[in-house]
Amino acid sequence: MPVISLTVNGNPVTADVEPRWLLSRLLRDHLGLTGTHVGCDTSQCGACVIHVDGKPVKSCAMLAAQADGAQITTIEGLAQKGKLHPMQEAFRDNHALQCGFCTPGMVMMSVALATEQPDLDEPAVRKGLEGNLCRCTGYQNIINAVMVGAKAMRG
Amino acid sequence: MEKYGIGQPVRRKEDVRFLTGTGTYIDDIKPDNLIHAVVLRSPHAHAKILDLDTSEAETMPGVLCIVTGKDWVAEDFQPMPTKSAVNKKIDGTPLNQPPRHAIAIDRVRYVGEPVALIVAETLVQAQDAAEVVEVDYEELEAVTDQIKALEPGAPQIWDDIEGNFCIDFELGDKEGTGKAFETADHVVKLKLRNQCVTAAPIETRGAIASYDKDTGKYFLQNATQNVHANRDTFASVLKIPSEDLHHMAPDVGGGFGAKNSGYPEPSLLLYAAKKTDRPIKWIGDRNESFAADTHGRDQATTVEMALDKDGMFLGLRTRTVGNIGAYCWTVGPFTPTGGSARTQGGPYYIPAMHYTGIAAFTNTMPLDPYRGAGRPEGSFQIERIVELAARELGMDPVELRRKNLMPADSLPRKTPMGLDVDTGNFPEVFERTLKMSDRAGFAKRFEESARKGLRRGFAIAPYLECTGGGPKEFAGVKFGKDGSATLRVGSMSTGMGQETSMPQILSDTLGIDFEKITYVQGDTDATPIGGGHGGSRNMEVGGSAVLQCAREVLVKAKQLAAHLLNSNADDMELKESVFTDVKTDQNVSMADVVAASFDQSRLPDGMEAGALDTDTIFEREIISCPNGCHSAEVEVDPETGTVQVEHMWIVDDFGTIINPMLADGQVMGGVAQGLGQALMEEIVYDEDSGQLVTGSLMDYALPRADSMPKMEMAFYEDAPTAKNPLGVKGSGEAGCCGAPPAIVNAVLDALKEDGVTHIEMPLTPEKVWRAIQDAKQQGA
Repeated sequence: MPVISLTVNGNPVTADVEPRWLLSRLLRDHLGLTGTHVGCDTSQCGACVIHVDGKPVKSCAMLAAQADGAQITTIEGLAQKGKLHPMQEAFRDNHALQCGFCTPGMVMMSVALATEQPDLDEPAVRKGLEGNLCRCTGYQNIINAVMVGAKAMRG
Repeated sequence: MEKYGIGQPVRRKEDVRFLTGTGTYIDDIKPDNLIHAVVLRSPHAHAKILDLDTSEAETMPGVLCIVTGKDWVAEDFQPMPTKSAVNKKIDGTPLNQPPRHAIAIDRVRYVGEPVALIVAETLVQAQDAAEVVEVDYEELEAVTDQIKALEPGAPQIWDDIEGNFCIDFELGDKEGTGKAFETADHVVKLKLRNQCVTAAPIETRGAIASYDKDTGKYFLQNATQNVHANRDTFASVLKIPSEDLHHMAPDVGGGFGAKNSGYPEPSLLLYAAKKTDRPIKWIGDRNESFAADTHGRDQATTVEMALDKDGMFLGLRTRTVGNIGAYCWTVGPFTPTGGSARTQGGPYYIPAMHYTGIAAFTNTMPLDPYRGAGRPEGSFQIERIVELAARELGMDPVELRRKNLMPADSLPRKTPMGLDVDTGNFPEVFERTLKMSDRAGFAKRFEESARKGLRRGFAIAPYLECTGGGPKEFAGVKFGKDGSATLRVGSMSTGMGQETSMPQILSDTLGIDFEKITYVQGDTDATPIGGGHGGSRNMEVGGSAVLQCAREVLVKAKQLAAHLLNSNADDMELKESVFTDVKTDQNVSMADVVAASFDQSRLPDGMEAGALDTDTIFEREIISCPNGCHSAEVEVDPETGTVQVEHMWIVDDFGTIINPMLADGQVMGGVAQGLGQALMEEIVYDEDSGQLVTGSLMDYALPRADSMPKMEMAFYEDAPTAKNPLGVKGSGEAGCCGAPPAIVNAVLDALKEDGVTHIEMPLTPEKVWRAIQDAKQQGA
């Protein structure tokens, strides 16, 4: 099995991975980071979005072996010192989650959108979240939360 | 306490763990010694199992156990029960109910039916072994459409059930309705479908089963909406006492009805867990979710309306044929019969009504409740026929609706369908919705669309629905010496936020610290009974149980407070967490009363330590009637058939609102699923082979962020119901009742100049485009 080294939420990790393991599996089953959810097997739902070298990636669509040397952030690594990230805070304030299953991927994608597009507007949020499915909220509160969270991130 | 009181948009307790990735869903649980299972499912819609050979699979690496129908026969395990409230045919004989085993015995009747459970040390080993299980099938002819299933000569799904007929049902005044049609000036008739859809929660189903051979007890953790009823189902299958099965639901990632049922897989897992003496996990994949989660709707309906010359409604006649799939599932036969009948006619005053519902077997995954379970179908039926009536009579659809709504002073009223409509103000809710809808600006927006070559349309759809689900609910509270409280309730949230709203009721009534309330749900060991979730009952029945429990605590707390102050319980007033003697002005805090309840020296005679701990059961007598009104403005591109819902306006009468933020969330989520049904979602089976065509998220479209309109919402709160102590009417399913007719009628309004009068859901671009082309040809 290939041995890979990577950084996950700031911590160095070395792992023996089977070539067929998906990155989501490494995170969930072997590193115990179960905040990254898997909701489908066709890369449609987006519940598994994490950041790989600062970019949003569906971790069910990347092999673990491909993450050798990568800097990875999962939902567990977003809050700092017990304080919610502004995007997490905005999701809570705007009731942008119900069952919570799509939420980790939705938040990670939203943070990436806000980081990549400093002038993020509502249509851009709707477009940007195309790859993230939510079955509970009807999205309106998610859109509101991303706008608020993005503004808070700009400071 | 006001900050956390009833009516406040309190931020959710559960959000912190969901937002930080520390929630515990079924697949996040990893007991020691865990092994894994996969379900081998039927690839055929209808086939005999001639032979099932597991010998090679059993020798594969890591394989521990394979369960098949042979085990089920050898163990004499029982079929799963069906509990349809409508269970007798019109002629009085019982419904045709074939045995529903957890695993196929000698025949398969739908694609996805479990044929074997393969258990191995690892998931991959189980998957590999499943590949080499050899099943010799003899394919049989299949039928997946309920109308065709009822035709003479259709393939017979059950040897002893003639014509695939499950049950028929009627409600209302057949003769009186017939007379209304005879004397009517106008009769309007429409054939329509509520297509087959599925809940598709983002978390698929899954479970972990284990067995303790020392105690003889089973433990099942399960992504379910209903632990008690399903515990009883699994126990009856395995022929064990219910108390030998501890059933718990962890955090559940959405349900919408599809996690209500007692499914086959848990019984298979429990049996295998005992055989292997190891905890076993099964997590369904997305394809299994589409194939083997219960489906919803799927009704083919003829609806007829009788009107007088002024457009007043005289009669409504509805005949529905519902698909229930290959088996009677948990309550499957109820939806197209009683479930769809009750709210027929919506909020309109219709003197004579008659409903006929038939449930038919087909070779599809069985149907069971999906968000609304019959009421969305009924709402769509009445709103489509009203829209068509307006068109055929040349009347303004808004005006036709306005003049036929039940007047406020007609309530309370029992409708011809026997629905007890106690409170509400349908005309007021309708006018408020219309006022929000910016009708004055429509002409300008219409012109703007027209300049771009686009059509614009508007429709308004008032709805009346009702609650359902189990009428009884348990609530219990236990206090801690530090003033904390643990609240246990038998109803449960799969995302709706009861971990927040239930403590709100307790905190509001008792003045105890909201932050110190721990909420427990979904555990058969924590509550003696529990109705789980379904039929928008959480707040109506569960919330009422919490209020009743809190009020019983309050009686005892007043006695204790009076004892501490040496005064009378009747003189105690609780305000801002402090009991005050209204005569002497002496006071004692609720926190101190709770502390005193653990100190025998401070208790009056007859009270024991822990005296405030209270368990109660609330029972609903009559179901509630949530109602409201949706309106929609849409833009349609006639060149591509694409529909964009631009804006929706919604006023709901849910009675008392406990947490408006959560109630808004319920509305918007329901609208999204309603929009999905209106525009894009459909479970499709191949007509000849019975294969599931829409088996993945690549084939079954769910609404995305850019599919959704701007939604503006308001609540009408002036008509709380007296049917329960909270005055709530239920909010969970309303969005699915209002949105589909509002959206579909708005699209047809946009296309009225094109001559399009009807399009079957879902209104995909292709169907819309074809409807325009067909109308063009007919007009030419």
